[in-house]
Amino acid sequence: MIFSELYSAYYNAVARIIRELIKGEKNEKRLSEIVSENAFAESMLTVLPSLKSEKWQLMKADMTTPIKHNPTMPLTNIEKSWLKAVFMDPRVRLFGNYEELFPDTEPLFTPDDYVIYDRYSDGDDFTDEGYIERFRTILSAVKSKTPLDIRMYNRRGEEISVTMLGKRLEYSEKDDKMRLIGIGKGNYDTINLARIISCKESKNKEPSFPEKNESKSRTVTLRITDRRNALERCLLHFAHFEKRAEKIDDMHYTVHIVYDKDDETELVIRILGFGPMVEVTEPEHFRNLIIERLKRQMEFEL
Amino acid sequence: MSAYSELIKNYEKVRSYMREFYIYGFKNRSEYDKKSARSYDDERRRIESWLQDYMSFVRTSEGKNVFISIDSRRIEHNPFFRTLKAKSFTDKDIMLHFILFDILHSPDISLSLPEILEQIDIYLSDFSEPMVFDESTVRKKLKEYTELGIITAEKQGKKMLYSRACDEEFSDITDILNFFSETAPCGVIGSFLLDKTEKENDIFSFKHHYITSAIDSDVLAKLFMAIRQKSVITMTNLSRRNDTPITIRVIPLKIFISAQNGRQHLLCYHMEWNSIRSYRIDYLSDIKIENPTPRFDELRNELTRMQENMWGVNAGKTTLGNEKTHHVEFTVQVGEDEKHIIRRLEREKRTGKVEKIDDNTYRFSAKVYDESELIPWIRTFICRIKDIRFESRETEQLFKDDIKRMCRLYGIEEAE
Repeated sequence: MIFSELYSAYYNAVARIIRELIKGEKNEKRLSEIVSENAFAESMLTVLPSLKSEKWQLMKADMTTPIKHNPTMPLTNIEKSWLKAVFMDPRVRLFGNYEELFPDTEPLFTPDDYVIYDRYSDGDDFTDEGYIERFRTILSAVKSKTPLDIRMYNRRGEEISVTMLGKRLEYSEKDDKMRLIGIGKGNYDTINLARIISCKESKNKEPSFPEKNESKSRTVTLRITDRRNALERCLLHFAHFEKRAEKIDDMHYTVHIVYDKDDETELVIRILGFGPMVEVTEPEHFRNLIIERLKRQMEFEL
Repeated sequence: MSAYSELIKNYEKVRSYMREFYIYGFKNRSEYDKKSARSYDDERRRIESWLQDYMSFVRTSEGKNVFISIDSRRIEHNPFFRTLKAKSFTDKDIMLHFILFDILHSPDISLSLPEILEQIDIYLSDFSEPMVFDESTVRKKLKEYTELGIITAEKQGKKMLYSRACDEEFSDITDILNFFSETAPCGVIGSFLLDKTEKENDIFSFKHHYITSAIDSDVLAKLFMAIRQKSVITMTNLSRRNDTPITIRVIPLKIFISAQNGRQHLLCYHMEWNSIRSYRIDYLSDIKIENPTPRFDELRNELTRMQENMWGVNAGKTTLGNEKTHHVEFTVQVGEDEKHIIRRLEREKRTGKVEKIDDNTYRFSAKVYDESELIPWIRTFICRIKDIRFESRETEQLFKDDIKRMCRLYGIEEAE
């Protein structure tokens, strides 16, 4: 159903090759590039040779094609039903109004058919008209690489003004929040969209921002004792990080996790959640963060 | 013995390998004992070909370990989507695909099977040894495409006429596809649609983004279809605890997705046990949709009622209507400048309530089917837990003993 050749990298590569051939492209190097851009590492051994040898009779010996029109394919039922499901998601309003599309198509799923049960409950209000308007202004500015003048609340709830060149919008699935990532004056490189009161494209098109070269990547090393399915739980939980795992013996494993310095406190909390099955072995300062919390806990004499 | 190809017919073959490489990544070749060594070599080579930029190797005393390492915050699209674009096909499949849609390049063109066959011959006439397509092959392909919704078939008199399905008209939805392909269930379908465009995603990135569920997209889509049809299904479950797959007949009710570990569960009514149960979707395969059941709405309502007492995916494991809840509560100390802790309690709780005891003390309490599901969350408040009570004394003691064990791990007991 989903795993179908219709959506395959090979079909996509061949469609693009045919488009080039229709345009009169006869440069084999360009066709090879299309294969490497659209398919896999070893596809080069199959796609062009199959076309050239007339195994797939879509390209003639003179590098023309019997196909006359740029290859296109209508939407499949499952593509339509997935889109219909997406158009029912409240977050889609950030992008426009799509509720009326595909009136005769059944959605693949509705918001009632699934639940993200451990998502935090104070996520952004994606249906708020003001939020939607600000989101669209920001999205447009990020695309056009235009700096934004932003009026917002800081962490202490005070109103401040910031000029920022947004590079991308980051969405956290756990927090259900959108953040603007970029470079800005006043040490701001990340702004939660929910904190923004108003924003508009800056008149100053080329403001100078302080360059930050400081790497934020850090590594923490964990020692996992595989009791109560801790190994799987831990590796799944930290799966979204760049990481490397090693087996020490049948019961013990080491995992190196690369994390962003700004997320250190969050990581401390997440590691604490695994209890005695996960121990921070390195670096010392991270280990001390855990020790300090445990010492404070011991004072309560549970 | 067939020659190696980077494409495959059956995705099931590689699902478990990819999970092992991505989630674990410390096993060497000899530890993949369920399959033959040749099978391991072939699947590893394929996965390397699909995910070349993300594959890493490390040499240990026991051999070479292959693993997939991805910081999902730094990627624009889920790399596992690529693996779902590796379906094998025949020479005739690919040729027919492009020729058929070129013959039927506009929805206005309606042709019968003989007319299509005649056209195909013209398309291939310039090749030195033109491929011959028989009527049955083309009819089968047209039938397949009609079922997929990309070709329409309409009877006119005795003749069946085939046309291309109408293209939907809507504005540019690239932003929607870039966002929802990563955040909506079965997002790989968004990726298929993006493949038709030329645009890259350099706008959105994703934090706390679990990407491995992409591997289960086909199973998930079938489960959603069964839920929409309110149908009974049979499915095969191969959990880590069992060596042999088990076939189960259930009524699928809802999908539970975790934003904190990426796991997806099917919550369903187990007909034999008269009980609502959860199954990990990564362990499921071979979903067969049967007939709709009149009990779906009643059972879905039961699950909604039960969700009030569920912290995770455990619905009590008892027969329907005989669920038992257990009381859990803990109090935390909150300093003057630590209002964020109260906010944490409020936003992170999935059920239960938070009460203010005094200016510096707050209590969380809940009634849940499985109190052990709360333990990892409660531990995240270590350093401020003043009191804790589980209805089960055993669980309470385990929680307290675990904190002592943690202290011993970090050498704190000696220092006290």
